[in-house]
Amino acid sequence: MARDLSFLFPELLLASTVVLMLVAEMLRAPRLALIFGLIGLGLSTALTLPLLEADTSVFGGTYRVDLLSGWAKLILLPGTALALLMTRAEIAGQDREGSVYALLCLVTLGALMLAGGGDMMLLVLGVVLTGLGSFAMVAWPRDDAATEAAMKYLVFGAVTGSVMIYGLTFWFGGAGSTLFSELGALDGKPLIALAGLVAVLIGLGYKAALVPFQFWAPDAYDGAPVSVAAFLSVITKVAAIIAFAQVLRDLPVATGWPVVVALIAAVTMTFGYLAALVQSNVVRLLAYSSVAQAGYFMMGIVALGTSPLALPSVIVFGAAYVAMNLGAFAVIMIAGRDLDDFRGFGRARPVIGVAMVVFLLSLTGIPPLFGFVGKVLLFGAATEAGYLWLAVIGILNSVLALAVYLRIVVPMYQAGDGDAGRTEVAPPLLVVLGATALVTVLMGLFAGVFPG
Amino acid sequence: MPLLSISVFLPLLTGLLLMALPNKSARIAHGVSIATTGLTFLVTLAVWARGTLPGGFAQVEEIAWIPAIGAAYRLGIDGLSLPLILLTSLLFFLSAIYAARITDRPAVFVALMLMLETASIGTFAALDALLFYVFFEVSLVGMYFMIVGWGYEERQRAGLMFFIYTLLGSLPLLLAIIGLYLATGTFDMRLWIETPPLTGLAAMLALIAMLFTFAVKIPSFPVHTWLPAAHVQAPTVGSVILAGVMLKFGTYGLVRFALQMTPDAFARAGLVVLAFGVFSALYGAFVALAQSDLKKMIAYTSVNHMGYVVIGVAVAALTLDPDLRAVALNGATLQMVSHGIVTGALFFLVGMLQSRAHDRDMAAFGGLLGQVPRLGWAFVLSAFASLGLPGLAHFPAEFQIFLATLNAQPWAIVAIIAIVVTAGLYLRAIAAVFLGERNEKWAAMPDLDRGEMLTIAPLLILIILIGIAPSWLLGMIDATMRALQF
Repeated sequence: MARDLSFLFPELLLASTVVLMLVAEMLRAPRLALIFGLIGLGLSTALTLPLLEADTSVFGGTYRVDLLSGWAKLILLPGTALALLMTRAEIAGQDREGSVYALLCLVTLGALMLAGGGDMMLLVLGVVLTGLGSFAMVAWPRDDAATEAAMKYLVFGAVTGSVMIYGLTFWFGGAGSTLFSELGALDGKPLIALAGLVAVLIGLGYKAALVPFQFWAPDAYDGAPVSVAAFLSVITKVAAIIAFAQVLRDLPVATGWPVVVALIAAVTMTFGYLAALVQSNVVRLLAYSSVAQAGYFMMGIVALGTSPLALPSVIVFGAAYVAMNLGAFAVIMIAGRDLDDFRGFGRARPVIGVAMVVFLLSLTGIPPLFGFVGKVLLFGAATEAGYLWLAVIGILNSVLALAVYLRIVVPMYQAGDGDAGRTEVAPPLLVVLGATALVTVLMGLFAGVFPG
Repeated sequence: MPLLSISVFLPLLTGLLLMALPNKSARIAHGVSIATTGLTFLVTLAVWARGTLPGGFAQVEEIAWIPAIGAAYRLGIDGLSLPLILLTSLLFFLSAIYAARITDRPAVFVALMLMLETASIGTFAALDALLFYVFFEVSLVGMYFMIVGWGYEERQRAGLMFFIYTLLGSLPLLLAIIGLYLATGTFDMRLWIETPPLTGLAAMLALIAMLFTFAVKIPSFPVHTWLPAAHVQAPTVGSVILAGVMLKFGTYGLVRFALQMTPDAFARAGLVVLAFGVFSALYGAFVALAQSDLKKMIAYTSVNHMGYVVIGVAVAALTLDPDLRAVALNGATLQMVSHGIVTGALFFLVGMLQSRAHDRDMAAFGGLLGQVPRLGWAFVLSAFASLGLPGLAHFPAEFQIFLATLNAQPWAIVAIIAIVVTAGLYLRAIAAVFLGERNEKWAAMPDLDRGEMLTIAPLLILIILIGIAPSWLLGMIDATMRALQF
């Protein structure tokens, strides 16, 4: 028991932090809640470092402390800290400000459950924990758009969650255990494996916004505050992708699941970029773009068990995606939600304009930026796993991606009205922009630090 | 001293420093730009002085980058890449001198140009496929912003077309690189060249992917359509760099990647490549003949001249005689350098004409030779070089290509018709613009000033030097080509 708990220090610390943040909110001290949050996230990150080399599981195999969950923490915890700063810049001084901070950290706790889950029950717990906090955050502005978005998100989440729980019972019945490590017993029972797979695809696919479970994403992102949208598009999505990796790496490849996932990946990235091509609201555009990026992530999932590049590719692209997507949303917070708001933005604010170009080119996958390194690994993993066609579709979609992102870049350098550059940028936002831009530019050059 | 790394990163670093400077006036920006590109040119001359090795790469510099996947920072040169590196640093130096008249956001322009120089020299010097791809793609981004930011009327559309077209073009190369990587577990291009890792169908697929990428870049028929739009809309310096340097990425890749890494597949597909080369050469010449816009005309002659390079490489792949191979590849490599110098000069001259007249249409001019003799004679000399007149830069290159073609694949000699067509179109252009009735509208047009003379004179001297005595360049190229393994 003591040994098990010692592996859970980061999670325990984060849980206590959330409690402290709630207390601070009750005392009407949102700044204190923010500070608690930042310190807690920082300490949890530091506590993760000594556990990075561990490869074990605790509590009877239900919770995994391994390479994947370790790196997930290193990505998700700092990502949440940046999201906290963005939220502060957006809603400082408003009513119930501290609740949002506490909810952000609570959802991240759920995300860690997803990323480390080694058991079906824990998977369900993670899905519910991330879901509940997210619904509340989307509904936070209390206007019509936010309420509608949150309702959609909630109903969608409730239905997909129930279907997932129902489907997981097939795996439980077939394997005789709720542990993922026992899923090998499903070899030779393709129908049962498929039933559970469909369930997981629905439950986690909804979290990761894979097609066809992406309908909620644009509405929820657009209804929520921009910073919350940024958080949802990054933290819960990456957690769901890593949960996919935790679940599917024990499922026998012979049951044919990679084909199903590959098809979904292809459809997801193509649909995401096609839909993004016609948006005029930048938040919705990035929402569809993050749907497409989820498709790219799935290329790494497809290769699980057949390519040694699979796990590194998911981790590296996860880190890259968190940095560049958060950065892009932070720029939206400065420029505005409408595509027209970007007209002349690059001329009025040259430095932030260049940062936005860097984020968007990295999302496209242009070298030597971080996103490129991740995509090369993903393409390599898919090709090695024998899914050359999927890599080709991914590459063709990169061109579509360029067209999508240039829709933002092009107006930025046209002559604009120039009044975009008047207001001061909040200091927390500058920190976020600096950190994400540095990571996006430099980690491409120092990608050697990641496991491979 | 790691001279190669210095020549690659010096421009980028000073570009970044320039962006960080508080005072970014045009004087300072252009001063920094000329000093940096000049220094880089000197460094590449020092690289040249250190020399190459026959049969292998010289001056290799290697640092671990992503050891987990076998990618490293590897630079090195041989007789194929060194002439192109010299050409690159020279053209950027001259472009920096010419660009000193740009007053619209000069610091950003200079930073972009310096970034492009890093990407260009890096592309030729990289010995690691991932690193090569990084430089290759960064050049796209730089050129896109140069066209969109400082181009002419239709720049947005042309820039978008250029970016999307060439990105779509370059992604198949990434697939080929991944294929080669999965077969060897490293991105070291030297190993891929030493023992080509792919065979059979895999090699053919990789070759097709590479050919597509490089055909877009070269550009070869039928994927050349981005070129006229990008050239016409790009600022003068952009056109010079695009034609003089970036088109060479395609032909360099054709030899370095397609020919050296998948030699057997290339030999099997050689006839198809040769046919595309012949058709491109003819097509480029005839379409150029139909243009009345001077810039567009020169852009299409690039399609023609690069077609000869493709012919040379394909002939080398198809023949087994080592002497003939060397002749064909020598011709192809020299053609790359000559084209960079000649077309660079032509684009500079058209840019100078356009900055005076704000017009590029041949019909709008007439009798300019008396009005602006220096510009006129410089254009006449460059045009004669471009049409392959003996004694000027293109002649020794094209002569060797056609010599090898006649010996190995006699039918392909039909491409020589293109020379006649180019001769016709250049004579027509000279007649329309510089001879004939004097157009009084341009009576006040000034001749070349000192900065412009400084820009154009080195190119004209090189045109004559390469034409009369190419051996100083060919010796280095030949030593590498004779030892080329494939």
